[in-house]
Amino acid sequence: MSEEYISVTCRTKMKRISEDYQSRVPDNTALKQQQLPAYRLQLSATGILSGFFAAGAFCLGMGIILILSAKSIKEIEVKYTKICANCAELREDATNFDKECTCSIPFYLSETMKGNVYMYYKLYGFYQNLYQYILSRSNSQLLGTDLKDVGNCAPFSNSHDGTPIAPCGAIANSIFNDTIILSYNLNSSIPIEVPMLRSKITWWTDKYVKFQNPSSINLSSAFAGTTKPPYWSKPVYELDEEDPGNNGFLNEDFIVWMRTAAFPTFKKLYRRLNRIQYFIEGLPAGNYSFNITYNFPVTRFKGEKSVVLSTLTWSGGSSLFLGLAYTVTGAVTWLASFSMMAIHLMLKKKKMLFIQD
Amino acid sequence: MSLFESESEDRQNEEQVRYLQANSRELNIVFGYPNNTIKTSRYNVFNFLPLNLFEQFQRLANAYFLILLFLQLIPQISSLAWYTTVIPLLVVLSITAVKDAIDDMKRHQNDNQVNNRSVMVVMNGRIKEDKWMNIQVGDIIKLKNNQSVTADVLLLSSSEPYGLTYIETAELDGETNLKVKQAISVTSNLEDNLGLLSAFDGKVKCESPNNKLDKFTGILTYKGKNYLLNHDKLLLRGCVIRNTDWCYGLVIYTGPDTKLMQNCGKSTFKRTHMDHLLNVLVLWIFLFLGSMCFILAIGHGIWEHKKGYYFQSFLPWKKYVSSSVASAILIFWSYFIILNTMVPISLYVSVEIIRLGNSCYINWDRKMFYAPKNTPARARTTTLNEELGQVKYVFSDKTGTLTQNIMVFNKCSINGIFYGGVYKNEQNVDVSDEREKVDFSYNKLADPKFSFYDKTLVEAVKTGDRWVHLFFLSLSLCHTVMSEEKVEGNLVYQAQSPDEGALVTAARNFGFVFCSRTSETIMVVEMGETKVYQLLAILDFNNVRKRMSVIVRTPEDRVMLFCKGADTILCQLLHPSCRSLRDVTMEHLDDFAVEGLRTLMVAYRELDNAFFQAWSKRHSEACLSLENREDKISDVYEEIEKDLMLLGATAIEDKLQDGVPETIATLNKAKIKIWVLTGDKQETAVNIAYACNIFEDEMDGMFIVEGKNDETIRQELRSARDKMKPEALLESDPVNIYLTTKPQMSFRLPEEVPNGNYGLIINGCSLAYALEGNLELELLRTACMCKGVICCRMTPLQKAQVVELVKRYKKVVTLAIGDGANDVSMIKAAHIGVGISGQEGMQAMLNSDYAFSQFHYLQRLLLVHGRWSYNRMCKFLSYFFYKNFAFTLVHFWYAFFSGFSAQTVYDTWFITFYNLVYTCLPVLGLSLFDQIALDTTYWTIISHIFTWGSLGFYFCILFFLYSDGLCLMFPNVFQFLGVARNTLNLPQIWLSIVLSVVLCILPVIGYQFFKPLFWPANVDKIIDRIHQCTRPLLPLPKRTKLKHASTRRSAYAFSHKQGFGALITSGKTMKSKVFKKKQLSF
Repeated sequence: MSEEYISVTCRTKMKRISEDYQSRVPDNTALKQQQLPAYRLQLSATGILSGFFAAGAFCLGMGIILILSAKSIKEIEVKYTKICANCAELREDATNFDKECTCSIPFYLSETMKGNVYMYYKLYGFYQNLYQYILSRSNSQLLGTDLKDVGNCAPFSNSHDGTPIAPCGAIANSIFNDTIILSYNLNSSIPIEVPMLRSKITWWTDKYVKFQNPSSINLSSAFAGTTKPPYWSKPVYELDEEDPGNNGFLNEDFIVWMRTAAFPTFKKLYRRLNRIQYFIEGLPAGNYSFNITYNFPVTRFKGEKSVVLSTLTWSGGSSLFLGLAYTVTGAVTWLASFSMMAIHLMLKKKKMLFIQD
Repeated sequence: MSLFESESEDRQNEEQVRYLQANSRELNIVFGYPNNTIKTSRYNVFNFLPLNLFEQFQRLANAYFLILLFLQLIPQISSLAWYTTVIPLLVVLSITAVKDAIDDMKRHQNDNQVNNRSVMVVMNGRIKEDKWMNIQVGDIIKLKNNQSVTADVLLLSSSEPYGLTYIETAELDGETNLKVKQAISVTSNLEDNLGLLSAFDGKVKCESPNNKLDKFTGILTYKGKNYLLNHDKLLLRGCVIRNTDWCYGLVIYTGPDTKLMQNCGKSTFKRTHMDHLLNVLVLWIFLFLGSMCFILAIGHGIWEHKKGYYFQSFLPWKKYVSSSVASAILIFWSYFIILNTMVPISLYVSVEIIRLGNSCYINWDRKMFYAPKNTPARARTTTLNEELGQVKYVFSDKTGTLTQNIMVFNKCSINGIFYGGVYKNEQNVDVSDEREKVDFSYNKLADPKFSFYDKTLVEAVKTGDRWVHLFFLSLSLCHTVMSEEKVEGNLVYQAQSPDEGALVTAARNFGFVFCSRTSETIMVVEMGETKVYQLLAILDFNNVRKRMSVIVRTPEDRVMLFCKGADTILCQLLHPSCRSLRDVTMEHLDDFAVEGLRTLMVAYRELDNAFFQAWSKRHSEACLSLENREDKISDVYEEIEKDLMLLGATAIEDKLQDGVPETIATLNKAKIKIWVLTGDKQETAVNIAYACNIFEDEMDGMFIVEGKNDETIRQELRSARDKMKPEALLESDPVNIYLTTKPQMSFRLPEEVPNGNYGLIINGCSLAYALEGNLELELLRTACMCKGVICCRMTPLQKAQVVELVKRYKKVVTLAIGDGANDVSMIKAAHIGVGISGQEGMQAMLNSDYAFSQFHYLQRLLLVHGRWSYNRMCKFLSYFFYKNFAFTLVHFWYAFFSGFSAQTVYDTWFITFYNLVYTCLPVLGLSLFDQIALDTTYWTIISHIFTWGSLGFYFCILFFLYSDGLCLMFPNVFQFLGVARNTLNLPQIWLSIVLSVVLCILPVIGYQFFKPLFWPANVDKIIDRIHQCTRPLLPLPKRTKLKHASTRRSAYAFSHKQGFGALITSGKTMKSKVFKKKQLSF
């Protein structure tokens, strides 16, 4: 056997091997080798401490600002369930629904409420957040597209004779229907009715997108074939007699009510001060009275009603919670920072001594 | 699989005995045997959906969500829209289904490929090619060299004399050495006569299909005579025909009945501690969920009674609610639905994704890729990754795992001259790589892989030193190796043991090339000159003789006996004249021993022709005797194996794998104990244990347990413990008290600390006693106190028993690593089985959970992948449960404000997407890309992308879901129009978010601040050190290699079993036919 022959076979063999040989070596990518650039938050003691102090300062400052701004709000709340006890008693019996009951509550405003003043009604113990209650509405009906869609509205979907209710459902049916009029006793003679606006008290999206009246020549014909909710005295297209645009599903009081509250105690915007005449600056100090047409029964479920007058600031309402939370956080953070610093210094001293030894 | 298994089991129950007739499909069809199709796939196109869904809903979590879905469809208790459950469930189910489908597709492809292989079938006197799957029981098939066996077939005839057929069974039992099967003579006479073969109408009666690889009994009835069949006549599916041109076989078992198929698919599913913990957690969460729902239901009852009843004018009770109690019962289920997010549906899927990811990292790791064999590491089981981080005990095989199982002819001593020695003047022993290899170019037949470094030996060969020539001639003649020439000029040796292969290869390289053998001749190319030696006798090896000899007639017509064997035996058989040579050689042997080399002595004797003829007669008589044949034969052997002339000694290095000592040292530092469980001898095992750092010379003591009965073993174990920890034997020892008061079978043996480093050696025989009854605790307590434990002479079963023992009483995670078929039991028994894909076939790898090629990858597997997986999984679980609890408990809290009416705080789409979209990526990112080094975690860019991306994604979806268009299209489904816009405009919400972030982050940073001060971890110390003193860290002191004093003797080993010697020569006494089919071509 010649040497040449062997070398030739060797070569062809080598060639075949290199063709067959498919390296199975894994790819050398950072991902596959778990070598992605990594970052570790490596903080020095001074870094942590200064961070803590800064965070504490921020929280304290924020807290104080929030508390001050909440304090600057003028707010007056008048609970009228007990004051108007006779009306409350009357409303406990549903058969008296057609009997009117009014109630007047005088009060004294010691300080001027400057700026925009808002009037709210506030309910205690009214559970607008019950699962079945929230379900009981028809958004497609409220959109005006399908008045007959009352499928979700049980038990207030149809009247006894089967006509669909518009607006249907427990939420709409239970609308807050007291009327509250604020009057100002300028000279203790004739009370002046404080001018209030009933517009722009809803979210823009609700008023212009989510709630739409069914299209027709006029509202009453648009709602033909439906009936009013059982607890309502007037049909939905007659809610506001003064402003014809504020009727039907677009009635702002109605829209406000339909945005259900998350908690059993809640206040909803009712009116806002029309700053004209005496009230350009806001509500001047003096004697006022609420004239309430008492329709909404709350005593049966041990609820309460009140009316609230309040101003607003950038940080919202008069609640001190956020401000207090910030302040407490800030204070605790600073306390922690000081103790951390003390411990750090102590241990550092020890370490130095140890190294010197 | 399960369906198919039960089916075949059913059939087995019916089938007690199998009857079949060759070449008679009509008859065999009556019995309804399956054809040779194998099916490992589970599904087909039609049953995939129902079957897969059925399997998926067997999982507890999926079933739970299905039930939840049904609950949600009941309007009375439904508190969430149906899609909150359906969408996540569908996503989860489809992910799993796709994965299953892909897996099954692969199996289908494999099955198809195997089933469509072609094979030769004998049909009506002709050979026809057919597909594997069409083979039926009773067919006669023809198999060629290097072909896989199609089914379990009865060997009928072959091209080799006496119906011998050589097979390799690597796929079945992992052994790569050749095995030989022999057909019974009546069928081997059929040879390749197709007419006779197709007329063959033998009837076979044999046992029903079973999974015992080494058992087969049957009776062949042919021409009115009965012939006994055993497993030596059966070629099993999965074997490969070697060194045999062709053979014919009768198909006995097909497809699912074959022993290969009967053996597979019964792997037990290993569960990790984490799985267990997960299930326990889920169970607790269930209980917690139930109690919460109960509390809320009671709250609801009270509320309805006190408030709701009076609120009815605004919200009347439903007709089906008769009282507040009835309402409360309904609300229980409503809350059960709402709070379902506590048992997160995506948990199990996420866990699987993480495990899969971490397994991929193992597969992708370049540092575990072994280039010489082109094999990356493979995680065969994806479910055990985090368990790797908790391993406490490693059970390792020796051969092929710690060592390479490559025997290298390293040194020799010929006629008193030492060759291949280490240069004494050099300090470093590991210079071999730098030394120049010997040039074997003078020998065209040399094996290029062989390397030798001492030039003097080659010089001696070239100058024609008589003793050196004789020495290598004896090595090239005295063996039972089979040679094969696949490519011309490229000899491949099939050796019984790697030692023998190494010796023959060495002789080949030095110019004494063993070319081929027949039953009567051995052909050797001696320094380029072809010579044929008449093989007169093979005096085969056995464990008592510890030597083997061949007697040959040289071309010069001299009768020579060549013998090789253990030095202790051979010493006594030497001729007195070579005493001085013996002393020199023994000295050399001692040197070899110190280095841990395996040694053999080589001797020869020239025989007188007449003496040999006389001996041969006696030998034949002994072979034919009926009583005490073995004894008589060995007596005859002894007659001729005496007065031997010493030629020299060989030293074979059992090479350690790369990096083994370092790996073991590192694992020891990690408090991982390593036990060596080996089938090898004590001396060899101890040698290797020293070489790879399991034992050290500085150890305080070494105990050897070799008692032969209970009492001595108990005594040995107790005295060992007495030395390690004297108080452990006292009654007052807490462990003893604990053991005497142990309540029941399952308990945990506490850790005991000895007063130093000790080693324990125990052999298989003693272990058999020690593993029985009340000794096992003694053994375990003693063994666990030792730094290293060596168990030698173990059977595969004992290996598994030792693993089980530790598993049972120590309650720790165990890992078994091995490469051979004998390690399979231990690999299966341990919590984690690692297979080394090495020399000994695939069996260990196929049963393992992780497979790679080098022992030292274990370090990376355990200390990097294991640790990271464990850390990641722990973090993942904490994070996952945290986020779901934070999410769900809000509902519990809110219930107190909403009259326990099952009103959710979030809108339904948020609930639907929370686990699936908003929060899954940050959690997965954390658990897949978090890098953990030195006790600290590192955030990668992906973590950032996932976290911030998810947040951005949330806002995108938020604005989409709350957009005008969707609301106008589906006003009753997407009813939260404008909420996002109006609330996010308020400063309060941003102030609240900022406050929450500050409140969440500050405590964590504070903890980070205090941790190094009060609970310093190693990394903090190191960082501290680096900050304080700029001097670089000193490298760890390197252990100087000590030259061991000759306290340890090497194993004069001959890792050899009884070979084919008898088979090779057996023909002679029976037949005089000479086979000359294998003529060499040069």
